[in-house]
Amino acid sequence: MNRVVVTGIGVVSPIGSTREKFWSGLVEARSGIGPITLIPTERLNIRIAAEVRDFDPAQHFDSKRLGMLDRFSQFAVVAARAAVKDAQLDITEEMALEAATIVGNGAGGMNTIDDSYFKLYGQNATRAHPLSIPRLMANAACSLISMDLGLKGPTFTIASACASGTHAIGQAFQMVRTGQAQVALAGGTEAPITVGTIKGWEALRVMSTDTCRPFSRTRSGLVLGEGSAMFVLEPRERAVARGAPIYGELKGFGMSADAGDITAIDPDGAARAISAALRDAKVNPDDVDYVNAHGTGTSLNDKGETIALRKAFGDSAERLAVSSSKAVLGHSLGAAGALEFAATALALHHQTIPPTANFEEADPDCDLDYVPNTARNAPIETAMSSSFAFGGLNAVLVLSRA
Amino acid sequence: MSEQQAAATKPAAIIDDVRAIIAKSLNIPIEQLTPQTRLDELGAESLDVIEIVFGLEEKFDITIPLKAEEATRLASADKSSAPEMPFSTVGDVAEIVEKLVAAKAAKAAQ
Repeated sequence: MNRVVVTGIGVVSPIGSTREKFWSGLVEARSGIGPITLIPTERLNIRIAAEVRDFDPAQHFDSKRLGMLDRFSQFAVVAARAAVKDAQLDITEEMALEAATIVGNGAGGMNTIDDSYFKLYGQNATRAHPLSIPRLMANAACSLISMDLGLKGPTFTIASACASGTHAIGQAFQMVRTGQAQVALAGGTEAPITVGTIKGWEALRVMSTDTCRPFSRTRSGLVLGEGSAMFVLEPRERAVARGAPIYGELKGFGMSADAGDITAIDPDGAARAISAALRDAKVNPDDVDYVNAHGTGTSLNDKGETIALRKAFGDSAERLAVSSSKAVLGHSLGAAGALEFAATALALHHQTIPPTANFEEADPDCDLDYVPNTARNAPIETAMSSSFAFGGLNAVLVLSRA
Repeated sequence: MSEQQAAATKPAAIIDDVRAIIAKSLNIPIEQLTPQTRLDELGAESLDVIEIVFGLEEKFDITIPLKAEEATRLASADKSSAPEMPFSTVGDVAEIVEKLVAAKAAKAAQ
């Protein structure tokens, strides 16, 4: 069994699309949530989101290739390139044959779907663009990364709604751990800011009209976001031998299904995934210093997640620092777990806990240490990143200082 | 139809529509639903409540303000830790719909 480390991080996010900007935004609690600019909002009740604002696709792709790329694939390929560059990894032809590409996204090319259907049903178009299907397919991002970087090993997409990115990183971790892949490029991506998607979320009645305030008594719901985070995972032995930068060692991955409600969090199911991750990592609840929570900012999630953490950690929950990045990043669905894993890895790297932004008042139902509003320098040996998705699918990663 | 007749028949029609929408969402016989029937006793889950509210909004072209956590409280039979909701029975739901329909009609008449 290989020990597996994270050697490269690439992000495209609402608070910036370099690792440095991303980290400073998290630490400074600089929220990327603002008025929606990407789409017409006249028909929307919800008019805020965390949009990626500094992203010019023409800077990254020529016009021919761009025709193939929905926004969710653009984010993924740019983040993947940045991760490989960050890892300073020279992917040889031999390595490429055993390089895995595992990408999580909840949906697929939603912008392409929305635009195509609008033309078809709204404008009575007689034909669809020939690249509609290749752009919108759920595996488009994954395939386009493999094409862009020449990665030729096991390559597929994982869809588990808001846990997609976490499941993808966990799957890639297991493949590198068992030697099934020499190296893995893994993460999540999503670009869900479309009229159709937002109308769908409005109907679930879980959206905030002002902002996202995880774990605060005044929380009013979630805010959609978008973006991507990608990682290079490789055996520790090779990373050390080649003198690569190491952000942390992936120690454990836990999963579970609630087999209950399709939207509401089940504290038992979430706690089972947390405990499974701790067991896989062979660490005790006491060893974990920081949890990057799912923390969507809905009344039910944050309360349920607090119960789950208490259940899985027992008395050790008292010493845990817990924060949610969603007040800053919004909820980018399939990308969320990956962006939050980036936050977790960078927290370990910088030995700093990014705060829960927009925290106003303590809630008796949420009674843990949520690191409100101000980052905290603290020794972090082991950290956890957790995702609890619609459909009752839970995924949790444990990462330790390298 | 005279105004008096309209006033007399409208509430009955609304409660019948409300009963039909709830019966369809929960897949239960409409006869089982009286104005006194409590939603939580019908085994409605939070998403059922959201779906029922959507059905009412579509049927009557109204907007019913309801958050997901309120739907959960409505669906939950365990009221020990949750405050009572403004509407708990089929009759309560019909009353809210009647008010919203009347408000819409008044607005349209202006």
